[in-house]
Amino acid sequence: MRAHLTFILAGLLTTLHAEAAEPPTVWLHVKPLLCVLDDDATACSVIFDISWRSTQAAEYCLNDEAQPAPLLCWPSALSGEYRHARQVTQDFVFWLSPPAGAERAAQAKVEVLRVGSPDRRRQRRSRHVWDVL
Amino acid sequence: MVAGCVLAPFACAQSGQGGGVSGSPAQDAAPTAHAVSAQPEEKSWRFGVALGYGRRTNPLIQSQEIPVVVDIDFAWFGERWFFDNFDLGFELFDHPRCTTNIVARLNSDLVCFGKTNTRYVNFSIGANGTQGAVATPPGTDSSVPLELKVPHRDFAVELGVETWLDGSWGQATLRAFHDASSTHDGYEISADYSYRWHRGRFVLAPSLGAAYKSARLNDYYWGVHADEVRPTLQGYRVDAGIGLQAGVRATYYLTKSVRLALSANYERLPDSVASSPIVARPYVAGYFGGLAWQF
Repeated sequence: MRAHLTFILAGLLTTLHAEAAEPPTVWLHVKPLLCVLDDDATACSVIFDISWRSTQAAEYCLNDEAQPAPLLCWPSALSGEYRHARQVTQDFVFWLSPPAGAERAAQAKVEVLRVGSPDRRRQRRSRHVWDVL
Repeated sequence: MVAGCVLAPFACAQSGQGGGVSGSPAQDAAPTAHAVSAQPEEKSWRFGVALGYGRRTNPLIQSQEIPVVVDIDFAWFGERWFFDNFDLGFELFDHPRCTTNIVARLNSDLVCFGKTNTRYVNFSIGANGTQGAVATPPGTDSSVPLELKVPHRDFAVELGVETWLDGSWGQATLRAFHDASSTHDGYEISADYSYRWHRGRFVLAPSLGAAYKSARLNDYYWGVHADEVRPTLQGYRVDAGIGLQAGVRATYYLTKSVRLALSANYERLPDSVASSPIVARPYVAGYFGGLAWQF
């Protein structure tokens, strides 16, 4: 019995020690991650559903590459959710970071794809019946 | 306008009408970032691969359907010169509403002649597979199987002009090509229209087209010439004619460079081509579904 308790305590201490030493794992989920634009459009109007969770409670701030200040900060939380409306014209990154830190705990890249091209020569591949691209 | 694009490039170039890219106002309710920015410069090279499954019918007798498991897109675009999947072109002028190019290309009719078989038939079976279509010539033993072979055809290099027009109404293309390799000495004039419908990640693009091919072009590929007449193959001269084409492409973008692609095309051959003894089906139909990467 005593040996068992010692083993369990040792295991807990090892786990706590490991948690203190290693940075927490943070997941950032953003939807949608792709904006598809026609060649005559300049921007997508998107409402992003953003959520995150971490293995360790801490203060995290959500950042948008286009804005100097964080969009929102959560005090000592394990997870968070946020909806963010935005006009998108080019690729950019959302990321999660400690309030004062420059490091990024997690990030998600939003991409912009333009279908078609202002250069009409790039749209000319359609005369062959078997072409699919 | 079309005449202006085709016949008066300089007038077109100086007309200075609105640009090809038009803006939409940013919505006030949404936080705006990068609201106005120039489109990123496109790469000179374009390389894409589609893997999947598809088939394309072959209208020739004794031919096999052409399986499509991979489609490769390879192109380069310079300031005015371009290479686009074996088409070599030079941009004559570019206008906000239209672009006109000079293009050298390979005739696409030849593709059908790549997968054909030689067949040995009993003489009472004609070239198009119908029994008794060919009369037994004097001195021929009808019980001996004779060779029925699709005639050989060469590729032709065609030189021509193409004009692309687009607007909110869709996109249209006008083309006129003439043989520059003395293979068939004929010409082709074609027009097609397509419209791109876009919702979220999904893009649907139906198209319609018509092509007039001259008698010389049609006859070279689809006729049975005097030196090709055999007991199994009657001579046949093909006239000029109009072929019609319809197609649809559906695309669902998974990421910026990967997409699901689905396409289907149907081409109705000109009547005079469809009546040729070496043509078994009066149409070409093709479909493909797969995953496409653009690098």
